Amino acid sequence: MVLCMSRSWSSIDDFEAFLNNGGIVESDDSMPDEYRLAVFRFIELHANSEQMGGLTERDWIPRTPGLRHKMAVIAKTQDEFGHAHLLYMVAADMRIKTRREMVEDLYAGKSRFHNVFHYRAKTWGHQVAIAFLVDAAALASQQAVFKNCSYGPYRRILKRIISEEGFHMRLGEDRMMRIAQGTEMQREMFQQAIDDWWWPALQLFGPDSKPNDMLLRWHIKSERNEVLRDRWVQKFVPMLQSYGFTIPDPGLRFDDDEDRWVAGPIDWAPLKKTFANVGPDSARRISEASAHWEESAWVRQALAANKTVNELVQA
Amino acid sequence: MSLTEGSAIDMLRLEAQVHSAVSSVDDPEYPGISIVDLGLLETIHVEPDGSTVIGLIPTFSGCPALAIIADDVVAAVQEVADVSTCTVDWLSSPAWHADRISHEARSCLERKFTVAVQIGQRSTTCPLCASKTVEQSMFGPSRCRSVHTCTGCGETVEVLRG
Repeated sequence: MVLCMSRSWSSIDDFEAFLNNGGIVESDDSMPDEYRLAVFRFIELHANSEQMGGLTERDWIPRTPGLRHKMAVIAKTQDEFGHAHLLYMVAADMRIKTRREMVEDLYAGKSRFHNVFHYRAKTWGHQVAIAFLVDAAALASQQAVFKNCSYGPYRRILKRIISEEGFHMRLGEDRMMRIAQGTEMQREMFQQAIDDWWWPALQLFGPDSKPNDMLLRWHIKSERNEVLRDRWVQKFVPMLQSYGFTIPDPGLRFDDDEDRWVAGPIDWAPLKKTFANVGPDSARRISEASAHWEESAWVRQALAANKTVNELVQA
Repeated sequence: MSLTEGSAIDMLRLEAQVHSAVSSVDDPEYPGISIVDLGLLETIHVEPDGSTVIGLIPTFSGCPALAIIADDVVAAVQEVADVSTCTVDWLSSPAWHADRISHEARSCLERKFTVAVQIGQRSTTCPLCASKTVEQSMFGPSRCRSVHTCTGCGETVEVLRG
């Protein structure tokens, strides 16, 4: 039961002690401004990424081969937009930006979204790699947040988002199995996709967490970036190799003593470019999204007019 | 037990085993909630030779989870000792309706997933504080769900409707 009663803390130490004891913050609590801003930025980034992800999926509805995959892509598109919608509502409740401001900032290129949406999905093979590798990376990051997140409204939304993303993973595995058992041409297409998407997926986790990472300190995230990244490597290297595919990391090696895979050095320059919205496909993505926003302005106007009419009728 | 000469009792026992196998299958988007509790199971036909046909109804036609649900049901039912084959039929009638959701599943949706269930046009209440919720958008993450906010605590609530 959520209490409709706002709580406040006398100092940041007091607040941190509350978090360290497993305390959960609710939207109407008087939380410290730094915490409010950190959580807001985190949720806004997640919402923006779901929104851009939905647009990417939608691009693929007419291009997706076969009815079974096409149905899945249509539903996944709605899922991503639905997640964005829920997340924007939770973010707006933090009273830093309105939902409209968040969407307009995104389409104006003023705010950030995940690195993987700054690349273009050129072939069906790319779509399979995204559903299989990238979705798994995104899911792992979300799980690490959900496990112990101190902000209640976000934690409850994540619970549902994660179970739905888990379902996307199964669809991704289904796609991967089909292409891996396909013709030589299909296998080559998938190998090319692995070559193109391996690094962006790995970079999604971000560089090693800093010792003073406030997201960890305030229990917004519960695991370090490098731990999540390493777990992903341990899972996908043997899996892709078992299907006869290669990993585009010349530095990758198996450490016999530690019985685990060790990835080669990671070049973080491409990730930094996506942070500044100057990745390989950023400009096209943002301008297309913004054009759709303008084209659909009449729908928002019609809805607003309808609301006014209803209010007048009721008055 | 030989089912070729199976008695009516044996057939009933087998049907019960098949039913419990189907019940063990969870909805892919709601782990922990059985498809039977969500009201997807309509018919079970078992022949004396052990061939089994499970009749399921989708929450909405075009649901992308159908293939995965059917695969999971076939896998679970084929684990039953006397079942020889299992197929899943997606039935086009009766239509699924939210009142097919069991009481247990409903409270699990509320408790575990903060999802409220709306039957017809009836009003819905917040799973957290039981205040009335107001629809913000009829477009949620899937065709069977809309998005509400709670008038009491302000929680964003997904509503499963039908």
